[in-house]
Amino acid sequence: MAGWLRPRELRGYERAASTAIALCAGAAVAAVLAILLFGANGERIVTLAAIYVVCAAGLMTFSGNTGIVSFGHAGFVGIGAYTSAILSMPAGMQKTVLPLLPPALAGWELPLPGALAAAAVAGGAVGFLTGIPIARLKGSAGSIASLGLLIIVYTVLSGARDFTRGNQTFYGVPRATTAELAVAVALAAIVVAAFFKESRTGLFARAQRDNEPAAVAVGIQPVAARLAAWTLSAAMCAVGGALLAHFLGAFSPRTFYFDLTFNLVAMVIFGGMSGVTGAVAGVVGITAILEVLRQFETGLAIGPITTPPILGIGSLGLGLGILAMLMLRPRGLTGGREAMVPLPRIVRGATVEPATAMVRAAVGLSVEALSKRYAGIVAVDGVTCRIEGARITGLIGPNGAGKTTLVNLITGHAAPTSGSIRLGDEPIGGAAPVAIARRGIARTFQNIRVFDSLSVLDNVAVAALATGASRRQAYAIAARELDNLDLGRLADESAGALAYGPRRRVEIARALAMRPSILMLDEPAAGMNPAETEDLRARLAVIAAARGVAVLLIDHDLPFVMGLSHDVLVLDRGRIIATGRPEEIQADPKVVEAYIGAPLGAVPIG
Amino acid sequence: MSTEALTHVHPSRRAVLKAAALATVAAPLFGARAAFAAEEYVIGIASGQTGGLAPFDQPSLAGFRFAIDEINAGGGFAGKYPAKLIIKETRSDTAQTVQAVQELVQDGVQFVITPADGDPTMAAGQITQPAGIPTMTFAGTAPILTSVGDFVFGSYPADNQQMLVLATYALELGYKRAYLLKSPDAAYTLKGPEYFAEVFKAGGGEIVGEGMFTMNQPDFSAEVTKIKGLSPAPDVIMTCAWEPDLPAFLKQLRAAGVTIPVMGADVCDTPTVRALGEIVEGLVHTSGGFAEPGDKHDAFNKAFKAATGVEPDTNYYVNAYDMAYMIDNAIRAAGSTDPKAVRDALANLENVPGAMSAYTFKGTDRMPLRSVALARIENGQKVLIERITPDAAALPKP
Repeated sequence: MAGWLRPRELRGYERAASTAIALCAGAAVAAVLAILLFGANGERIVTLAAIYVVCAAGLMTFSGNTGIVSFGHAGFVGIGAYTSAILSMPAGMQKTVLPLLPPALAGWELPLPGALAAAAVAGGAVGFLTGIPIARLKGSAGSIASLGLLIIVYTVLSGARDFTRGNQTFYGVPRATTAELAVAVALAAIVVAAFFKESRTGLFARAQRDNEPAAVAVGIQPVAARLAAWTLSAAMCAVGGALLAHFLGAFSPRTFYFDLTFNLVAMVIFGGMSGVTGAVAGVVGITAILEVLRQFETGLAIGPITTPPILGIGSLGLGLGILAMLMLRPRGLTGGREAMVPLPRIVRGATVEPATAMVRAAVGLSVEALSKRYAGIVAVDGVTCRIEGARITGLIGPNGAGKTTLVNLITGHAAPTSGSIRLGDEPIGGAAPVAIARRGIARTFQNIRVFDSLSVLDNVAVAALATGASRRQAYAIAARELDNLDLGRLADESAGALAYGPRRRVEIARALAMRPSILMLDEPAAGMNPAETEDLRARLAVIAAARGVAVLLIDHDLPFVMGLSHDVLVLDRGRIIATGRPEEIQADPKVVEAYIGAPLGAVPIG
Repeated sequence: MSTEALTHVHPSRRAVLKAAALATVAAPLFGARAAFAAEEYVIGIASGQTGGLAPFDQPSLAGFRFAIDEINAGGGFAGKYPAKLIIKETRSDTAQTVQAVQELVQDGVQFVITPADGDPTMAAGQITQPAGIPTMTFAGTAPILTSVGDFVFGSYPADNQQMLVLATYALELGYKRAYLLKSPDAAYTLKGPEYFAEVFKAGGGEIVGEGMFTMNQPDFSAEVTKIKGLSPAPDVIMTCAWEPDLPAFLKQLRAAGVTIPVMGADVCDTPTVRALGEIVEGLVHTSGGFAEPGDKHDAFNKAFKAATGVEPDTNYYVNAYDMAYMIDNAIRAAGSTDPKAVRDALANLENVPGAMSAYTFKGTDRMPLRSVALARIENGQKVLIERITPDAAALPKP
């Protein structure tokens, strides 16, 4: 396909556009088919399904990108419904239905588009306010908090009788949701969800979902990413709620409580939570199951056979369908994969040369009299050292020497008890890990932490994005770093599928994409065979020399460290017991003593 | 017709026959407009046979069908319009109810029956009112539900009717000070006591306190303490709570040594409430009906049990039975099945005898005026105190 990019070759917003086109075309065709085949019935099914697509796309925008299942989004659907209903109600009706409504809210009589916009604003505002605490929570704590939010919203809607009629039926809502409008909004929701997923914030959210410590280490603020996803998803669900209000015509707070929550969560899980295609597939799949089963409720005549009426078969079938999906394909119908179409090559545009240098500032790291005390145990005791640019400094020491603590002090995961750490002239002791990453200190982890569900290119680009590059520049930088580490071929592979060696190189490329002044490598050769270790040694030597970056290398593989480092620091029981060139260190009796017994033997000095 | 004529069908006619056969088989799937016999009267029922409304809708549907069988045995409505039912399950979901009612209207039904609840009935009413199809709820009692439009009717004595009767009786017993236990979680548990209060105060009584409870949160210790602390103590405690909140409240109240009499609403009229023993001794409650040996209600109970084997232990069975005859009476009075004529006739029915009670729609807001029974629980049995048909003029406004 000469002039075309295949789906697996697409990147960034190209993927979003491809998915949006695939899903919008598919949804539009399905809607038209349903209406042609089933007439007015088809229109009703399509309208309700389109409303659920808006809500499911909203829910997926948060839960799919952050990995936190939310049970609270039915509350935003309710907020959107009541906002739109109150503001669009005819003034005459309002006197009967809401006699005590404050004058500021009375008599707006907004047409439906205006009411939808108002719902989006209300949903977004409440989303932002509730997101501030909730975005701080991870995993199941976030899910439980969202459940609490559902109950709070329900209670407020029930209690605000002057605005909502409390638990009495809220009726008289103009039934203005047509199939065309619902489908149009559903297509818009699909586009928004697809593009958000590939946006800077969407990437940040997905990175922190895959591996939060690594995300922080490349300069991503997990809370900010979660908050943005939560706020957008709230606004989307509120718009879905407004459409639902104008479809039902009458409702009460119960309409937006556990039943709706179950329906939404079930649809999203059924289809596959982490993708827009999954959200749409879930809605379509469950709607189809329910509609087919409904035909059997009152008995169906198929030729000579009439099936007996089985009222309740809808609920039964729905429950069984969800159980089956969870047992057979827990990741849902789509498994999080997106539907995509090929795109013409011209969408890619010309490749950009990265304008930024590879290193922000060639400064060194100075540590002075640094100590860390943990309730009686002194992990790091008065360490003073300097790590220079364009040089590789090795850090060795027996287990428990305090190497990890020292690294944590530098990266901001621990605050010093006393002493100082300076990057160039800037003191950074006690700063937050994200701030330190953004100032130009990059690290790799002992157990490789890549973002498994992102592509190799996205893994590296996201680090550049987080440290201030624009989108185009970030991808240009990522392409350059991948080329430098011979990963160009693997750019569009999913990082989680790579072998160990390439994964380690991705991690290093990602760290370098931050244009760091300091690069800290924590046991980079762990788990590698001699050939891979030698390959890594050669690459690291080139990186330090060519870029001027200061490298701190921590490892237990002594030949590796000695062969690579210009200087070596030896740490034992929190103190530096020796510093100097590798050959000096190897001959130092204190060092030999610190490592139990065995002499170092003949080691090639590189 | 000769066999030759039958077997040599013209090719184009064969194609038409094939298409017709396919269409007949496929029609139910494609929801096409069903073909009705010319004289049939088609009733569409959207009802929650599963979900939260099942305890009300299931008995209602059973009672309604029993009545329809009876009516059809006599030739149909007004003796000449055989009744046909199209039943759609709503899973107690308002969106599903909307879809179901739209389909029923599309199918050309002449009367719509909705679930026993305000939300789905009003949502349905917003569809059937513009379509001009008379609509009636199974046993929804919120008096506002008919405000959607004049084609929407109730069937069971509304909450404000029942509370008018109860509050009047409370005043007759000499109660001067009442305490209300309300819950904002349902219109029934919130507005019911408010209607009671309106009538009680108009009759010279005083509401000395109000408590709020959350449904399905069975800890009433705060409420009980508050009641105990009132001085002077109230003469009566009134609530519209139902199971499991009502038993929990009564247990805790009596365990704290409070002997103040309690008055409840028609949700107390179930065998499980009566089986609660000592704590419900003397509880006075309203009910839509009370079967006495030999009366029509009792006759219905016996006939229903004989026909289906099921004991009708709540009033929803008999109420729905009466609904079918409300429609029958309306068609007879209208002299036709024209929806507008049927609606007008229904709205003008006056003092028509029913199995549960007589009913009057004339002069009401289409929630029928029916007698309300007052019952007291004694030794696990319900004892009839009296039946009162409330005065329409004295009804609290919805």
